[in-house]
Amino acid sequence: MTQVMSADTKKQLRKGKIQRGVRGTIRHLILIALAAVWLVPILWLVVTSFSSYRGINFTHFFPEGYTLDNYINVLFHPDSVAQFPQWFMNTLIVAIFNCIISTCFVLMVAYAFSCCRFKSRRLLQNLSVTVNLFPGVLAMIAVYFVLRYLDLTNSYAGLIMVYAGSSGLGYLICKGFFDTVPVSLREAAKLDGASEARIFFQIVIPMSKPILVYTIINSFMMPWTDFVMAKMILNSGISADWTVAIGLYNMLSRTLVNNYFALFCAGGVLVSIPISILFVIMQKFYVEGITSGADKG
Amino acid sequence: MAEVTLSAPLRADGKEPNFLQRFGHGFVHGDIFTKLSFLVWGLGYIGHGQLIKAVLVTLVQGLGLYYLGVAGIPNLMKFGTLGTVQMEMVFNPATFKNEVNDYDNSFAILLLSIIALVVIVAMIAAAMAVVASNYNLQQIRKAGKKTNSFVQDVRVYLNEKFYVTLLTLPVLGVVIFTIVPLFILIAVAFTNYDQQHMPPNSLFTWVGLANFFTLFGGGQSLSLTFGYAFGKILIWTLVWAFFATFTNFFGGVFLAMFINDKKTKFPKLWRTLFVITIAVPQFVTLLLVRNFFGDNGIFNTMMSNLGVTDLLHNIGLLSPTMDYIPFLTSNGWAQVMIILINIWVGVPYQMLIATGVLMNIPADMLEAARIDGANPVQMFFRIKLPYLLSVQGPALVTDFVKNVNNFNVIYLLTQDVYVTADQSMAASSAKEVDLLVTWLFRLTQEQYNYKMAAVIGIMVFIICAVFTVVCFRFINKKEATFS
Repeated sequence: MTQVMSADTKKQLRKGKIQRGVRGTIRHLILIALAAVWLVPILWLVVTSFSSYRGINFTHFFPEGYTLDNYINVLFHPDSVAQFPQWFMNTLIVAIFNCIISTCFVLMVAYAFSCCRFKSRRLLQNLSVTVNLFPGVLAMIAVYFVLRYLDLTNSYAGLIMVYAGSSGLGYLICKGFFDTVPVSLREAAKLDGASEARIFFQIVIPMSKPILVYTIINSFMMPWTDFVMAKMILNSGISADWTVAIGLYNMLSRTLVNNYFALFCAGGVLVSIPISILFVIMQKFYVEGITSGADKG
Repeated sequence: MAEVTLSAPLRADGKEPNFLQRFGHGFVHGDIFTKLSFLVWGLGYIGHGQLIKAVLVTLVQGLGLYYLGVAGIPNLMKFGTLGTVQMEMVFNPATFKNEVNDYDNSFAILLLSIIALVVIVAMIAAAMAVVASNYNLQQIRKAGKKTNSFVQDVRVYLNEKFYVTLLTLPVLGVVIFTIVPLFILIAVAFTNYDQQHMPPNSLFTWVGLANFFTLFGGGQSLSLTFGYAFGKILIWTLVWAFFATFTNFFGGVFLAMFINDKKTKFPKLWRTLFVITIAVPQFVTLLLVRNFFGDNGIFNTMMSNLGVTDLLHNIGLLSPTMDYIPFLTSNGWAQVMIILINIWVGVPYQMLIATGVLMNIPADMLEAARIDGANPVQMFFRIKLPYLLSVQGPALVTDFVKNVNNFNVIYLLTQDVYVTADQSMAASSAKEVDLLVTWLFRLTQEQYNYKMAAVIGIMVFIICAVFTVVCFRFINKKEATFS
């Protein structure tokens, strides 16, 4: 080959290589720029959480002094405004109950719609799609009326009910997964005399660990990331009753922000750590769920 | 046991009878127990030898009737007026004290009436089902076979009818926490429930379509501002939903293709860098970004140090009286920033999804195109994009609806920060950057104007429903022509 190749083509090839090299560098430079844009706010969050100045630093991106005080204060010295440990416990309680109830509801509905055949199946599925079109905020305001009438506002029971009550509607992704469990497996079990209940508990559930993990993490994360519902239902203004999201939001109100911005950042980092870990576990299923849920409609 | 085949086919076409037909047939041809079971559910089961079931269904029926007797019917009687007795202090001669009279609470009347209506419908349906099932039992006994024992019945609900067991609780949850509240909300849209008519202190009542007229600018003085605000906010909501959906979708697709390209080194590393931003809860990042772009915020300082602020002064994009860039505080700037920040929030998600979808494109399809001499642009428009759209088309539609209702991004970025300069907007608690949902939220929180919030909510639903139906029709038609 090399003997046949003239000096000219060699030159051209080298030129191509250089061009490719230049293009590759530009490509990676663009990626670096994009990644920087996406990471700047996160970086700001992290560095400010170590800042020795408690308010917002308007002039410098990086704080002038570093300290661990914000973390120590937020974790061990709660005051009337910042009661992070209390909020953390509140949110944890709500999250655990929501997780149990929602996961059960989602799995139950998904299995019924995916594996059972009954007359009103289509009708119920269409109804669930229609109900989902109502904006969540809208339903929430109405739910708030009802909860206020029942005197359940400012209680975790009320909040859990709102989170978990209609969680059955979020069955689509899980159903998409159950649809992939081979029918022959269930049929074989049925021939062997297993009841539907046994097939559900002993065949389909054990085979669906990924979607189980996804559903559990998703419902567990909801109270940590939800802001609106909690704000609406826990509206007493008593700091000790709040969840993490409302508490942190309150720290940034106009009168408090100059004293609590760094604490807010520390709190934000602390909430993000568990959520990031859960998210990394869930990431794989997240994509699977969306794409498999999508083409089933 | 399962279903007993009826002696004579109910329908001439030989299809299975539907619920109503089975009830009708059972009621007409049933024995005395079957007929009576319509009134007292337990009687039929007693007559057909299923005692435990008889006790259970009668208990349920008793509970329903108890509710209707104690709360349902009395409130339904007042449903037409939503109460007439206002709360007052009345002198009680027996105790020589002023006491609260026996007043009507309009909201309680509305709530309990709607629950009563739901209970009545459910009980009628249940009674019909009981009759049908009793007729079935009667037929079994007539054929000389044994009816199911209670244990056998329970087993049916773990096997053939397992779906009933599975769906009961979740459906109940949806009915209580979504359907009933929605009925209430729809009802509120036809009342005058607002700050001047707040139960329990005062009553509210039906006003017909008046609130809808107000929204479309046909009512009295206040409605002019409402109609004006509604028009403006509706347009911004649609513009926002359109841009938010498509910028995120294409941003995600391009980023995914860019990272997954063979020429990119360490694709996993890049992906992780972008995914980090998802892991921080949205309310944290949004509140942070709001301060980042604040009027005196760090980004404004940087811009002014870099001379960008002066540059904007010079080219006339910024009025000379402002020494900062009003990223989130002025009409125009705020809308653009919100869409840009939303790209920041949403593109990593879309990138993850697009990565997954793109990997599923059959490799031989791309290979064949390459051999045929397709360039990357052609391959994108002829193969990748149609594939992405076919998989993600439905998801795009739901994303659009989600963006119409995207409360978090708008509320967290603009609440307490953006102040409207438009008097007529302010009069109806609206801001130029509001979506319909944030507007209705603020109406309830600040003005206690529940009636208008309910009307806006219904409008949002109509918009979303029409859009979804039209889009899915279109998608289905397209799929039909391709396959």
